[in-house]
Amino acid sequence: MERLKTALSYILIVVIILSLAVVLILSVGSDVPKSFMSFFRGIFGSLYGFSEVLVRATPLILAGLGVSIGFRTGFINIGAEGQIYWGAIAVTTTAYLFPGLPALIAIPLGIVAGFVAGGIWALIPGYLKARFGISEVINTIMFNYIAINILGILVRTVLKDPEYPLPMSSKLPNGFIFPLLMYPTRLHLGFLIALIAMVLVYVLMWKSSPGYKLRVVGLNQRASLCSGIPVKKYIVFSSLLSGGFAGIAGVGEIAGIHYKLLEGFSPGFGYVAIIVALLGKNNPFGVAAAGLGIAALQVGSLSMQRQAGVPASISWIIMGSIVLLILARSTLLTFFAEKEKEKKV
Amino acid sequence: MSTNSILLMKDIDKYFFGKAANDKVSLEVKPGEIHALLGENGAGKTTLMNILYGIYQRDGGRITWKGEEIHFDSPREAIDNRIGMVHQHFMLVPTLTVSQNITLGLKSEGHPFPNRRSIDEKIRELLSAYDVHISPTDKVSSLSVGGEQWVEIIKLLYRNAELLILDEPTAVLTPQETKRLFKVLEKLRQEGHSVIIITHRIPEVLEITDRVTILRDGRNVATVHTSETGSVELSHYMIGRELKTISRTPNTVCPHEEGLGLDELAVEENGRNVLGPLSLSVRKGEMIGIAGVDGNGQKYLAEAVLGVRDCSAGKVRLLGGDASSASIQQRKDMGLGYIAEDRQNDALIMDMDMRENVLLRMYSKREYVKSGFIKYANVDETAKEMIDTYNIKTAGIGKPVRYLSGGNQQKLILARELAGSPPVIIAFHPTRGLDIGATEFVRQKLLERRASGSSILLISADLDEIFALSDRIAVLFHGKIMAVLENDGNVDVNYLGRLMAGEAAESGSDSRRVE
Amino acid sequence: MIETGLIAALTAFLSATLRMAMPLTLAGLGETFSEKSGILNIGLEAIMLSGAFFSFIIAFLTQSVLLGVCAGIAGGIAVSSIHAYLSIYCKVNQTIAGLALNFLIIGLTSFLFLIVFGKSTTLPECPVTPKIPIPILSRIPVVGTVLFNQDLFVYFTFIAIFLAWFFIHRTEWGVSLHAVGENPKAADSAGLNVFRIRYFSTIANGFFGGLAGSYLTLGLLGFFMENITSGKGYIALVVVILGRRNPPGILLAALVVGAAEALQFRMQTAGIPVPSQLFTMFPYVITVLVLFLAMGKSREPSALGIPYIRSKR
Repeated sequence: MERLKTALSYILIVVIILSLAVVLILSVGSDVPKSFMSFFRGIFGSLYGFSEVLVRATPLILAGLGVSIGFRTGFINIGAEGQIYWGAIAVTTTAYLFPGLPALIAIPLGIVAGFVAGGIWALIPGYLKARFGISEVINTIMFNYIAINILGILVRTVLKDPEYPLPMSSKLPNGFIFPLLMYPTRLHLGFLIALIAMVLVYVLMWKSSPGYKLRVVGLNQRASLCSGIPVKKYIVFSSLLSGGFAGIAGVGEIAGIHYKLLEGFSPGFGYVAIIVALLGKNNPFGVAAAGLGIAALQVGSLSMQRQAGVPASISWIIMGSIVLLILARSTLLTFFAEKEKEKKV
Repeated sequence: MSTNSILLMKDIDKYFFGKAANDKVSLEVKPGEIHALLGENGAGKTTLMNILYGIYQRDGGRITWKGEEIHFDSPREAIDNRIGMVHQHFMLVPTLTVSQNITLGLKSEGHPFPNRRSIDEKIRELLSAYDVHISPTDKVSSLSVGGEQWVEIIKLLYRNAELLILDEPTAVLTPQETKRLFKVLEKLRQEGHSVIIITHRIPEVLEITDRVTILRDGRNVATVHTSETGSVELSHYMIGRELKTISRTPNTVCPHEEGLGLDELAVEENGRNVLGPLSLSVRKGEMIGIAGVDGNGQKYLAEAVLGVRDCSAGKVRLLGGDASSASIQQRKDMGLGYIAEDRQNDALIMDMDMRENVLLRMYSKREYVKSGFIKYANVDETAKEMIDTYNIKTAGIGKPVRYLSGGNQQKLILARELAGSPPVIIAFHPTRGLDIGATEFVRQKLLERRASGSSILLISADLDEIFALSDRIAVLFHGKIMAVLENDGNVDVNYLGRLMAGEAAESGSDSRRVE
Repeated sequence: MIETGLIAALTAFLSATLRMAMPLTLAGLGETFSEKSGILNIGLEAIMLSGAFFSFIIAFLTQSVLLGVCAGIAGGIAVSSIHAYLSIYCKVNQTIAGLALNFLIIGLTSFLFLIVFGKSTTLPECPVTPKIPIPILSRIPVVGTVLFNQDLFVYFTFIAIFLAWFFIHRTEWGVSLHAVGENPKAADSAGLNVFRIRYFSTIANGFFGGLAGSYLTLGLLGFFMENITSGKGYIALVVVILGRRNPPGILLAALVVGAAEALQFRMQTAGIPVPSQLFTMFPYVITVLVLFLAMGKSREPSALGIPYIRSKR
């Protein structure tokens, strides 16, 4: 009975989302079947399209894993976007400082640099939360805006490519560039790294003692304290990990896709990562699945925009609505339960 | 049913998650009567009253109030019908004044711009009529627990309640304050009010009430005139047998060996002294009971010993060694067991399963964690052993502990904290909210630990518990120890009550002081 | 002559500061009601964005500022009502509901904007509120010009600050609001309708937040673009904390951030040869600093962010 209700509520959510999509498509005067067709053709219609889903999913999974670690520990990290930016800045700076390194050293170095930079950018609000109790939600958001502007300054000054008039860095040296996995698609090493990170996070959170403590802190700080876990340290630790994975996402975008640092390389990956973490229920495998799903939604929406003229911002509306509906899902259930009760009476 | 009843609750049903909390419960109250609702924790007394007061909605049955059938959807309607309730956990807003709390939710004259001054005057009269020394302009946060209870009662009287429901009103009072409360209840009865007292204490029922309705497991057991019954019969009604008297084997104390020592220990909060300086030495095989009204520093004391709170001065000694600068983890590794006051917030992770809750005290041990990785097989084994030894009723080792009953949660904590036979134990309200079976079990376990040489600091608001278990009794008032009494069966309850109320120990009774 | 130049510059700066502070103040007032009752709405950004969008679109279509403002308020209330429904009735995590709303509204407003205007290169403009100098008072140098040569929004905000202060501190309603946010169980037991009071305060949040949004488009800018609020909703949350959930305090806090924003614009136009991003991030840095300095000065309502469940055992 309980299972049936759960299933029913999910079906209801799907129905609501689909009808919402239909309404939105109709409102721009597009053809509904054609739009849906182009949506799915964009995802499954070609190898390239499908590989684009994986390409998009890469930063979403990495940053989503980071956000999920924070959420598990009670560090509400809304700052993945800024941490992604710092990962990107770090890999570019590293490449700039050590241009001649071979790939075998350069790529791991870039990843570590991105992890550290993203981690530190998250650690500051993490420390402020743990030590002074200052809301990390607001701080991480402010840090996003600050990071974006810092990147803007860097690509206009020290990291600027003197050859070009546009605000961007010069191309990364070859050693730092992620190899492609499936030429001629854009699928790159980053996707593998995301999958490895998924397993790593699982082992960390569910098999190791530090991960156990992180989860305990997230569920009940007071009991953690009473049991002897240094709660503040673990919150800071979680913020470091959280930002670190987001930082790697930034590394992947620069070293795997753009090959140079430029403004606006992330169309809100860090914000979408929050949705990915929520939909994935902060479970690493769930996060990967949600990352793929959301990436497919975005790739499909882009295709829908190209072929059927439906603005791609529809994907944001759909994502927001899915989260809201899933939040309200249990009440959708009580709605049914009450109906049933009325019938009995 | 007699026609002259003011309240008649008939065949009330209430289910929580499919389990009956009230199963065809009936209650009748007459005008000008003090009526006890007796039963142990979890018998369904409070649920029944919450239904009457409009907090819960009943699943079946009828309620007649002053001859009319009623159904309250919210406390508002109960208040409008002149029914008032003092909950066990007071329903006051600490940041508001006494007078604002009393008039909260009322449409006073001039609403929404009432004349505070004239309201205050009216409240002041009411307060002095019942001899309560509180000013209407005081912030509730500045009052003692006893003071808060008076505000709750005055709140009901200000609202002209004809029926007052008091949920365990004496739980937070000293024996003297209890006497005063009962005097006021007498006065209310004379004025024609009806009173329902929810309690699990039989002596109180016999002392103050006219009739008593006994509940057990959510069902009616009996309703009797107090004058026609006695404590043996009531205890039979309440738990189906006589209360076991706990036998404390004397002479387990090693006179010279100390387990836990406090040396001029003091705690400050926001620059204000909230505990001590106090000194206390718990020897091996000894249980010291800390008696006192809630909120007199018990929490600070427990937290300072555990290490959750830094002490501003003084020392904590564990097994003779200075532990003042040791971390919580180190203290636990030295052999400190901590039975927390608040099971759900301090001791358990409600959304984790049993084994992960067991792990909460084991994660520093090699047996369970090796080079950072958890050996779940070993944790499982230990958890299963605990389930067997402590007879914990669980739906499964992998189910969140949220689904355990309060008694089984406490057994789990006990099993975990007493594992490895810790030489020092802090038991903070160890039986609060438990039914009698679980209470007896917990007390038995504590006595077993004492018999095998542990030093136990028992902090409890239940004087009966303190008397039954402790070798010595230390009275805590405003963070200071008023006296330490040998619990030799000759301790005068009234004297203890005076100490709990902060009336300094008389010089004449110095002989009782043991240091 | 230099002196008159200085005075003019000062007057312009203070005037800009005041105007920049207005949307933060209004949004902060709304959030104060909400938080005092125990509802933490991170979706303030969405409320403002919705207010900004709908006020712009209606003002553009009808050429009426008044109708635009009404539409902005309605847009704000619509968003806050969704949040209220989720947090009061569905009892969900209020922070997450707020964040999800932010995503939803960013998408929705840019989607609708594209529907109405298509992809045009020029930004469509709408009428803005005119300045209404108050006779005599506005002639006072500096102070008079800053305070009394403003648009109706500014005057209204000052009245709103006073009314909100009066409501919270001088009426029985304010006591009820406080009680519901501090101890909803006690409030319920005393006969207050916790849910109704919370719904009321969230609607107030939508009202003021929507108004704040319409001030952005109809008072300050005269146009709309994607994500026009750019974090102002979050900054307003900080203003609420720094202002200790007290209306006059909120104005002061908003002025601090407003000054940072006004300064940013002045510096950008001053022609200093550094990237403008250095100045753009100024208000955000100030906000972080302000949050740090406000630490521990403000006590949160005890039940903030915690859903009230009546028959919880």
